[in-house]
Amino acid sequence: MALEPNTKSKEQEKMKYKISISGMHCSSCASNTEKSLKKILGVKNANVSLMTKKGIIEAEKEISDEELRKAVSKVGYKITGIERE
Amino acid sequence: MNMDEHHHSEIEEDSEIKDWKKRTYLSWIFAIPIAIFMLSERIFGMSLIPENYLAIVFLVLAFPVVFIFGFSTVRGGMRGLFTFYFNMDSLIALGTIVAYLTGIFSYFNFVSDYSGVSAMIMSFYTTGKYVESIARGRASQEIKKLLELGAKNARILKNKEEIEIPVSEIQLGDIMIIKPGEKIPTDGIVVKGASSVDESMVTGESLPVDKSVKNLVIGATINQDGILYVKATKIGKDTFLSHIIDLVENAQSSKIPIQELADKITGIFVPSILVIAMLTFAFWFYITKDLSKSLGISISVLVIACPCALGLATPTALMVGSGMGAKRGILIRKGEAMQTMKKVQTIVFDKTGTITKGKPEVRNIQTAKNVKENYLLEISASLEKLSEHPIATAIVQRANLRKYKEVKEFKIFRGRGVEGNIGRKKIAIGNSLLMKENKISLKGFEKAIEDFESLGFTVMIVAENKEVLGIIGVADAVKPDSIEAIALLSAQGFKTIMITGDNERTARAVAREVGISEVISGVLPGDKAKKIEELQKQGMVAFVGDGINDAPALKQSNVGIAIGSGSDIAIESGDLVLAKSSLLGVVQAINLSKETFKKIEQNLFWAFAYNTVAIPVAILGFLHPVIAEIAMALSSITVVTNANLLRTAKI
Repeated sequence: MALEPNTKSKEQEKMKYKISISGMHCSSCASNTEKSLKKILGVKNANVSLMTKKGIIEAEKEISDEELRKAVSKVGYKITGIERE
Repeated sequence: MNMDEHHHSEIEEDSEIKDWKKRTYLSWIFAIPIAIFMLSERIFGMSLIPENYLAIVFLVLAFPVVFIFGFSTVRGGMRGLFTFYFNMDSLIALGTIVAYLTGIFSYFNFVSDYSGVSAMIMSFYTTGKYVESIARGRASQEIKKLLELGAKNARILKNKEEIEIPVSEIQLGDIMIIKPGEKIPTDGIVVKGASSVDESMVTGESLPVDKSVKNLVIGATINQDGILYVKATKIGKDTFLSHIIDLVENAQSSKIPIQELADKITGIFVPSILVIAMLTFAFWFYITKDLSKSLGISISVLVIACPCALGLATPTALMVGSGMGAKRGILIRKGEAMQTMKKVQTIVFDKTGTITKGKPEVRNIQTAKNVKENYLLEISASLEKLSEHPIATAIVQRANLRKYKEVKEFKIFRGRGVEGNIGRKKIAIGNSLLMKENKISLKGFEKAIEDFESLGFTVMIVAENKEVLGIIGVADAVKPDSIEAIALLSAQGFKTIMITGDNERTARAVAREVGISEVISGVLPGDKAKKIEELQKQGMVAFVGDGINDAPALKQSNVGIAIGSGSDIAIESGDLVLAKSSLLGVVQAINLSKETFKKIEQNLFWAFAYNTVAIPVAILGFLHPVIAEIAMALSSITVVTNANLLRTAKI
């Protein structure tokens, strides 16, 4: 299995976060969450899935847990886990 | 945290269903009496309670339904309205609150009472959500199984003692002991023992795979009959299973172009409906001067208009599709590939390792008169045992001897063959060049050699004391199901092409064997991507190859299908990734992506159709708010149920 080399994140200056979100139950919930996450400074892309209740966030810089939590709670949901890659 | 992560989403899903269930039952306890009062009044024209009290009874009964059991919906919806992050709760919340308030205002006699209706709307909404959450749970059942696949505990050898520990505590290099019937805790390499392992849960390959020392095993697969001692080589997030789960989850949030329009509409849907509902109210009030009627119609508009079916159309079908794939060892890495696959006409296959097994095998043997095949193989294998060339290995494997003859003065001639003495006999095995150097006549074998070569075989000539005993044709064998797979794809109307670095003759022979008519031969590995690019001028091209050597070609093609075998799966390249190496898997992957995409199209069609029909009907005042809510709930349920029906498709 081709594992990503450790240098990757340094080379591309790209951070990836995977968050678990609770409380979403409709597709507009997911798209609102997505919009709100995209507004965080430095976030390049965010994808939130209603089905897996997870969001994948790509950012150019380090995003703090606090920022992520705030963006999600602003639209009414809760982050239950953050994974950094 | 990473360890618990996967369990968490599972619990989350279950608790969501439980929550909706509780809310549904409690709501109906209050809503059913309301329904009875409403119906008796409407249909039979008689009230069970004096009319003066009815409004108060409705207000009292509806309150818990809307504001207690529906609290999270009302709160979420109102938050949406105030923060301008509108969601579908906003519509329901506004609809029910307005309806409820009419009950209070009806007291002053300028509007009729809709408070009972508010409870009915909320109850049906909750019921719809309950049913939908069950259906969504079902849509993700395969993925859920995947998440639960991992072993919980491991038995490891520590200081010569067996101890049991949770899988999360395994360290790299730990020796795990796996007894028959047990799950292999994590990826590793066999250091002692032999057994067969059922890998179907991760590769979709139904036959157990034999494992012995130095073989790699995958975590979560099941040891069948022997005891295995396995050194852990990958743990936690690096394991094969973790990568598969990651891949499935990433695919779930990857966007499919066809969904974009639906997403855009969903994005502006709720505010648009708010405006439309207001306009509807103004219009009807202007025309009829009937406040009650105008309010009723705009409530209908609010509750019927739900972008939910539109939003669920793609993700649910994708969820079912990727789950079905994961079960068969087919991983959809990019959802987009399914849409592209529809337009693909040409499928290009890499030869070595894709169509063929990727290692040579003895394909045919021809002996001289009076020479037995067994004898030929016995002396050949005895010599070749001493060589490490892949062709030598092929001959040794075919002979499958228990005892080898003693060989003296063994010599290897690079690019030509080997020589050695068995007893007093001088043996030479090699190509015609070696024979020529030894002045061995090929008389009587010219025709056979030519025949073998035209089949794409490498010919090994075996001579004993300058006399040819026979010839052995060695070639990279075609995988057993390649022929069937190519036939199935041709029958579906795909143009199949084989690409290889081999010479024209060898390439043609293999192509003919599997039924491919077009061959691009003599291509350097680095040029494959360029050839794909040329083919793309005539249309969309899918490329099938192993992910390691063919990564550029996989990237260049419109749909890259990477095939792997066991733990050698190349996850980073390829839009569709197969955990197994069988070409039938490619057929399955193509069928699966077509079927999944068909479901997505169907779902989007129904969702669009629902909204384009239902909203005008509601605006025109033909729908009672309660009927509107039922229709809304049904539309979402239909879409999710239809997605679940994907399972009945033949893959």
